[in-house]
Order: sequence, then C-alpha cells, then structure tokens
Amino acid sequence: MEIWIIVGIVAVLAVVFVVIYNRLVRLRNGYRNAFSQIDVQMKRRHDLIPNLVETVKGYAKHERETLEAVIAARNQAEKIREKLAGAVGDAHTMAQLGQAEGMLGSVLGRLFALSEAYPDLKANENFQQLQEELTSTENRVAYARQAYNDAAMTFNNVAQTIPSNIVAGLAGFKSAGMVEFEDREAIVEAPKVSFG
Amino acid sequence: MERVFDFRAQQSASRRGTALLVLLFAALTAVVGGAIGGAVAIAFTYRRDEIRIDEYEPSTAIVLGLLACGVIIAIAWMRFASFGGEGTRVARTLGGEEIHETTTDLDEKRYFNIVEEMAIASAMPRPAAFVMRGEDGINAFAAGSDPERAAVAVTRGALTRLSREELTGVVAHEFSHIANRDSRLNMRLMGMVFGLMALWVAGRTMLQAFRFTGRRSGGRSRGNGGKAIAIVMIVAVTLAVFGFLGMMAGRLLQSAVSRRREYLADATAVQLTRDPVGLSAALKRIGSESHGSRVVNAHAVEARHMYFANASGSISSFGGVLATHPPLIRRITALDPQFDPATDPIWLGMAPRHEDKADAGAEPPQETEPTAGPPRETTASAGPWG
Repeated sequence: MEIWIIVGIVAVLAVVFVVIYNRLVRLRNGYRNAFSQIDVQMKRRHDLIPNLVETVKGYAKHERETLEAVIAARNQAEKIREKLAGAVGDAHTMAQLGQAEGMLGSVLGRLFALSEAYPDLKANENFQQLQEELTSTENRVAYARQAYNDAAMTFNNVAQTIPSNIVAGLAGFKSAGMVEFEDREAIVEAPKVSFG
Repeated sequence: MERVFDFRAQQSASRRGTALLVLLFAALTAVVGGAIGGAVAIAFTYRRDEIRIDEYEPSTAIVLGLLACGVIIAIAWMRFASFGGEGTRVARTLGGEEIHETTTDLDEKRYFNIVEEMAIASAMPRPAAFVMRGEDGINAFAAGSDPERAAVAVTRGALTRLSREELTGVVAHEFSHIANRDSRLNMRLMGMVFGLMALWVAGRTMLQAFRFTGRRSGGRSRGNGGKAIAIVMIVAVTLAVFGFLGMMAGRLLQSAVSRRREYLADATAVQLTRDPVGLSAALKRIGSESHGSRVVNAHAVEARHMYFANASGSISSFGGVLATHPPLIRRITALDPQFDPATDPIWLGMAPRHEDKADAGAEPPQETEPTAGPPRETTASAGPWG
C-alpha cells in the first residue's frame, strides 16, 4: 500500500516537472526568436550606414571627422553583434551591444543635425529615402527590443518564481538579459530634423 | 507631466465589457427564440375560435423555442461564412490599392515602413498594406478574420496630414483590431443581427400573404381552414414583432460592442507603441476639422464599424446609441487625461500640421510652435519610447 503512495507521488512530481520544463523551453524559444528579430534589424541598420556616408560625403566634404566617427561606431557595433550571435541572452555581451548601439545612435544624430547646414543634401531624394529607412530601422530595432524584453521578462518571471525555479535550476536554465540601450535620450532627441 | 495612461487596466475593462455584451446577445437570442416558441405553442391550442391556455404544452414551447434559436443561429452562420475572411478583398472593395516595398513615393514608403515596424512590435505577420488614394479625410481600417489573411488600409489624407508618430498610432490601432480578432467578432454579430432580421422579414411576408388570401376568401371561413389561418397569423405576428424587436436590440448591442472594441484597440495600440501621444494627437487632428474622418467611398456606410474613426462625418441622431465609435473627446481623454478641448492646440487646429513634402518648400515658415503638447516632428529618429 505504502509503495503505491510513493509511486503516485513520484509520478505526479514527474508530470509537474515535465509540464514546467516544456513551458520553460517554449518561453526560451519565444525570447530567442524575438532576439533574432533585433539581430536582423541591427544588421539592416549597419548595412544602410555605408550608403548614407557615401551620400553625405558628396555634399559635406568638410565633415570628415563626423563621418569617420559614424563608420567607427558602426564597425564596433557590428563586431559585437556578430559576437552575440553565438551567445543569445548573455547579459554581459547584451549590455555591451546596448552601449555600442547607443553610441552609434548618438553619432548618427550628430550627422543628421549637421545635415541641416547643407540644403542641397537635405533636398537630395536619395538622402531623404536613406533617412526614412534609418528612422524606420531604428524604430524596428526598438520595437524588436521591446518585444524581446517582454518575452525575456515573461521567461525570467517563470524561471525565478516557485516552483518553476526548482525545475529551471535542475535543468540549467539561465535568466535572460534585457537589452537596454545606453544613451537612449540621445538616440531619441538628437536627430531633430524637421520638414517644416 | 506625468503620464497616467494604464493600458492593461483599460484592456481588461474593455474585455469584461465585451464579454458582458456578448452574453447579452446570447440572452437576446434565447428570449426571442423562447417567445416565438411559446407563442406558437399557444397558437396550437386554438380550437373553434378560442385559444385554450389550459391545453398549452410547455414541452412544445421548449422544442419550438430551441428550433427558432437554431434557425437564427443557422442563418447567422451562413451569412458569416459568406463574408469570407480575406482582408485584401474587403480592402479593394473599399477603394484601397495595395502598396509594395518598392514604392518610390516617400509618404507611402513611410507608411509601409510603419506597417513593418508594427508587425515586429506585435510579433504578427505583416498584413497587406493598402492606401485609399481617393480619400482626403483622415481614416483607416483593418480587415480579415485572422492575422494571416489581414489587410490594413489608410486614406491618402492620413498619409499626407499626419506626422510619423501620429500615423504610427493609427496603424497600431488597426493592428490591435487584427490582434484582438475584432473583425471576426463584428462579422459574427452582423450575422446574428441578420438572423433576427430574417425572422422579421419572414413574419412580415407571411402577414402580407395572409392579407391577400384573407381578402379573397372574404375573411369568414370556418373549420380547419379558419384554424390554419389563425395559427399562421399568430405565428406571423409573433415572428414579425419579436424579429423586429430582436433586430433593433441586436443593432444596439452590436454598436455597443463596436464602441467597446474601439477603446480596447486604442489601449492595445499604446501597448504596441508605448506612446499614447501619437495616437491621441491623430484623434485630435481628426477633431480639429469638421469632416476630419469622412470617407466618400460608396461602401463606407456598410463598413462603418470597421474604420478608425466615424466614417460618415455626421453624428448619430439616436443620442449615440447606434454610433459605432465612442465620441472622439472620450477616446482622447482616455489616452490623455489632461486633455482640454478649450485650450488644446491640435484640437483647435492651431498646431502645425505635417505637410506633404512636395509643397513643403513653397510653404512659408511655420509660426512659433505652441509649447503644449504637439508631437515632435522628428523624422530621423522617432523612437517608440515617447
């Protein structure tokens, strides 16, 4: 009789374990998938920048310093992006990436502010299109980041609360890092380009 | 200024409201079906010019009542199935033209990009993007029964007259309708209203036929023929009366559900953009013009519940109970509790408007920008953080 009670308890525990484990895996897939969106959009952003620099160069030859700063920030961010591709959710690299993207955002902001001084550049259709593409890509990164952070938070809430934290600990689930962009104000505020 | 907008509370309140209204709809169907069943069962007790209530059989009433409910639901379902769930078809019917990534028009490209952005924010597949080129008002709609077959459309007026943040708010609102499956809910409710209307039409047709036969036979028949006519007449009157009352009540409920879903879509839009300012500014801009959201397409009346804002440009004469959208001021206040129609620069039409870039060069420089509230006209980096 007693043996059956023990067997029953073990069976119930096993079922609970499996259910929680599967839930954790689903949530982890969710945030990993959301992260791949951030990655796609950052790549897109990085790919647009050389075009932008080429276009600006034709009109604003004297701004070499700024252009070089943009290229440098872009290359740095691209390097970290590639590094992170192998370690999704790693909090430390994630923070680095956030910093690099914030840096890129602020030098880009400087570049757009500077374009105010060149009416021919501002009127250039190619420049306008690139500006729209970069605006959109930056928003896409931000929205993808928002979707990722929501997914990561849901995962963390499950992985850190009782009883699922026991399963997470036994099965070796690690908490997911949030993507926080440093210097966020600069990204939002700096490129105040108006069509008014 | 503190932002007090709580989209999660708004969402759960809207969902609760909708659930209650859907329950009322089910109750309405049951009442109409039950009333018809009861009346017909009473009609069956008719013998020699009198109705004998004491011979009335409740089981007959229940069976007939269930039958009536079944007929309403069957008609509703057939009607619902006939709509189909293809959003692109609806968008074309309402005068939309699909735009693609390759568009060279800067305004359309911006709109296309915003649709892409919202697809990422909502983790849904990107719906087909349509523009209603013949429409100068500011309006938009979403169609399609599920995210895989959805389409969003905006008017040309919305493209040229809204800033990037404002247009993002409008597109996010339409995405919310898709995410909340509002289009499907609305089609189902329309089907139910149609089912109730079918009872009314059937009863009315029977009454007209009866008047015709009654006149021919002189109205003085006795025996079995008279009994049959009396039963048919009672059935016809019951169908006409309860069908009509049911249809009117159904319309009221459908409009109430539609208004609830508008609040829910506004709240979900803020969840997607995390920026209540853009959406409320778009609503204020609609309010600042007398026909701000009017749509001229001939099919707009049928589809009025689908639009972003009131498409007819006129206020409902029944004190708003049949209106598909809540009053603009209420929607704005839900997003921006500090909103004051007497001083708000956008609402009063004093805030600079986003002009079509083609004429931007010809425009004189804008007067000093009012400091209170108008969205920044940043085009280079408008983050969703607000």
